[in-house]
Amino acid sequence: MPASTTSVTKRFLRPFHGTGFVILALGAVVAILVFAAFLLIYNLPDADAFNEHVERLFVENRELTSETELRLLEILAQSGGAFSDTLASYRMVVLVLFAFSAALLIAAAVFLLNTVALGRRVSEVERAGMHVRSLVLRRDEQAVLLNELELELTPAAMETLAVLCEARLDDEVLSGSRLESLISGKDELDCEDAAGATRIKRLRDALGNQIMARLLIKNITKYGYVLDIDKDAIKLN
Amino acid sequence: MGAAFTLMSATPSLAECYADYRAKKDEPFRLHYGVIQIPDDLCSADGAVQYIAERISSEGWILLAVDSLFGSEGLKQRSEDAGQYYLRY
Repeated sequence: MPASTTSVTKRFLRPFHGTGFVILALGAVVAILVFAAFLLIYNLPDADAFNEHVERLFVENRELTSETELRLLEILAQSGGAFSDTLASYRMVVLVLFAFSAALLIAAAVFLLNTVALGRRVSEVERAGMHVRSLVLRRDEQAVLLNELELELTPAAMETLAVLCEARLDDEVLSGSRLESLISGKDELDCEDAAGATRIKRLRDALGNQIMARLLIKNITKYGYVLDIDKDAIKLN
Repeated sequence: MGAAFTLMSATPSLAECYADYRAKKDEPFRLHYGVIQIPDDLCSADGAVQYIAERISSEGWILLAVDSLFGSEGLKQRSEDAGQYYLRY
């Protein structure tokens, strides 16, 4: 039996719990982007870098003294300046894209966390509303797993549930007497409807009590019992 | 600037002292090579640097390097390259 979605989601959810993590994650995203933008702004060469380069060429090469050569060096520096203007415009474009990507990343993160939280709420609602997604009979443990809730049953109740399950799989509807005959092994004609009804009633009682107990009164091992409901839901008059 | 500073002839024997130098100007970026006369009492490496820097700064030029100190015999070969900056300051 594969693990149901509930338990998987719960395990997946645990690290996402609390708003602290959300703020931390979004803060990290923003910090990384700001850091990248900072690097972008301060690591691109400016016009001065080209001028300084040409200046060094001029000082280091003693034979560069004639008027024409100096004009050429100046033109070299100017074209470097023009190139750095181009770089500056590219930098603006990249920064705009950065802002966009930051916005998208944050939006995506928020939506992801919203979806995860919503999924958790839905699975809680499903369980609280007793929408049966899985029913596993464990004959050897005398237990039934309802949506991962383990409920213990008496052998008789277990037998009743097993018969009902088999009937459901065959798309059959069982009358009280037929149920009784299947369990007791007697002929259907010798069985009474009331006997089957009693078995159903006992099964309902056993299951109902335990489901109510599990959903309402939580047992914390070694500590004790607590009502598993919202504080605001309680009103004492 | 100190690293770029070299002297071709350490102490000129002649009374007249000249130097050739390289200078720049920012915004717009300009370069020039010039020849300048140095007063005799400043005819040394350090003195020339200070003197030239002071003289050319009047028009916003920044001294990059002093190439050499020389006497009047070296003027002719440098006059063409220096152009309008030949003995201007």
